[in-house]
Amino acid sequence: MDLGLFIAASGMVAEQTRQDQLSNDLANASTPGYKPDATPQQSFGEILLRNSATGRTIGSLNTGVALGKTYTDMAPAGMQSTGEPLDFGIVGTGFFGVQTPEGTRYTRDGQFTTSAQGLLVTATGQNVLNQSGTPIKVAADGTVPASALGVFNVPGAVKQGENLFAGTAATGASGAGGSSGALGTVRQGVLEESGVNPTTAMVEMVGSLRTFQSGQQAIQAIDQTLQAAATQVGSMNGSS
Amino acid sequence: MLEGMYAAAAGMAAQQQQIDAIGNDLANASTTGYKAERVGFRDLLYNQIDQAGTTTSAGAGAAAQVMGANQAQGAVQSTGDPLDLAIEGPGYFTVKRADGSTALTRDGAFEVDAQGRMSTAEGDLVQPPITLPKGVSPSEIAIAPDGKVTGPAGRAIGQITLVEVASPDHLLAASGSLLTTNAASGAPRPLATAKIQQGALEGSNVDTATEMVKMISTQRSYQLESSAIQDENQMLSIANQLRS
Repeated sequence: MDLGLFIAASGMVAEQTRQDQLSNDLANASTPGYKPDATPQQSFGEILLRNSATGRTIGSLNTGVALGKTYTDMAPAGMQSTGEPLDFGIVGTGFFGVQTPEGTRYTRDGQFTTSAQGLLVTATGQNVLNQSGTPIKVAADGTVPASALGVFNVPGAVKQGENLFAGTAATGASGAGGSSGALGTVRQGVLEESGVNPTTAMVEMVGSLRTFQSGQQAIQAIDQTLQAAATQVGSMNGSS
Repeated sequence: MLEGMYAAAAGMAAQQQQIDAIGNDLANASTTGYKAERVGFRDLLYNQIDQAGTTTSAGAGAAAQVMGANQAQGAVQSTGDPLDLAIEGPGYFTVKRADGSTALTRDGAFEVDAQGRMSTAEGDLVQPPITLPKGVSPSEIAIAPDGKVTGPAGRAIGQITLVEVASPDHLLAASGSLLTTNAASGAPRPLATAKIQQGALEGSNVDTATEMVKMISTQRSYQLESSAIQDENQMLSIANQLRS
């Protein structure tokens, strides 16, 4: 069958994935510390075409679109002032440490609250960690100084939902919270905005939709060619 | 493909929750002692799709939850009523409800019932009870910042005790402006340094302008997510028209 059909279809499949990711990004346009996803599209291997009789090279042919590994855009987003004593934001690229049943996880969402034990916890009730990896006590007046929070350097952090990232904190390179370090300063009363830019996401969505449509048109054109080949080749006077 | 539609729908549901919280806040912009709600958003699980050795992932949308209340002090307004009490700083009044259970409140608009007992407008009695002796009118009593209640000529009548809990964000809203404690909030314990102001009430800490701005941005996010669903729908329709 015509190779073009599969090339166009691979492009449509890639756009579907893109669309799903954009939908998720838009759904998280209000999630503090959310980082948008992207999946690079790359070409499959090229085929070198040559004339089988003379051996002369005709040229190369791409065989469609392959999806690369999803990457997360970790660029820090702007800080939004909330005035809440238990809202924190990291200016820089570090993460807050969170104690979960599966081990230490990391987050950029600094919207915290107090547990019944008087410890600083996330919205889902998990302990927030200080620089030495132990839970943080909330003072009697209901506040925690920004310097009490740990900032961890987590290279290659992987998103796992619930605003958490999995990864291993690099040791030795962590800048202490509250003080100016390479990885960031903790600020109180602010939240990091979602990294999603709704305008860009919408434009990408429209672009992706149209690319998808182009794939459909290409398939229809090839289909018509095939139909002509199947019904008109060999018929007399060009009539089918 | 359909995952994206569900992700956007989950996002819309989350924004809806935010709108509900804003609606509640705006309705209570003048409620004594009301604290604005704090809404937290989070992303959901990620679907890993393995294709030809590489992993792509697509998320399942977002969820929102009320994380408790903004604990900022509301503006203290002078009313001149001797039984209006405003708490400055942290703490709650304790009241006993008709069913015998206790509840906390920051609404200090108290009055005295037929027996001279201090109670809320709904008739819930202040705990520990404060009873005005016969012949003493509310205008003759003085309530000190530490909660000591004295009658004419400095005669001691009682003591208003303020309490606090470990996690005010987990207090549950009950009827009126009452809050109830539970396992997540921790048990009430006496507040070390109470500061009560007599003849004043604590206003709502809802900032109407901020709420309106939040409402606009929430509404727009809702709209964007609905257009994401429309786009996904259009893609499905295009796929369905492949053979036309």
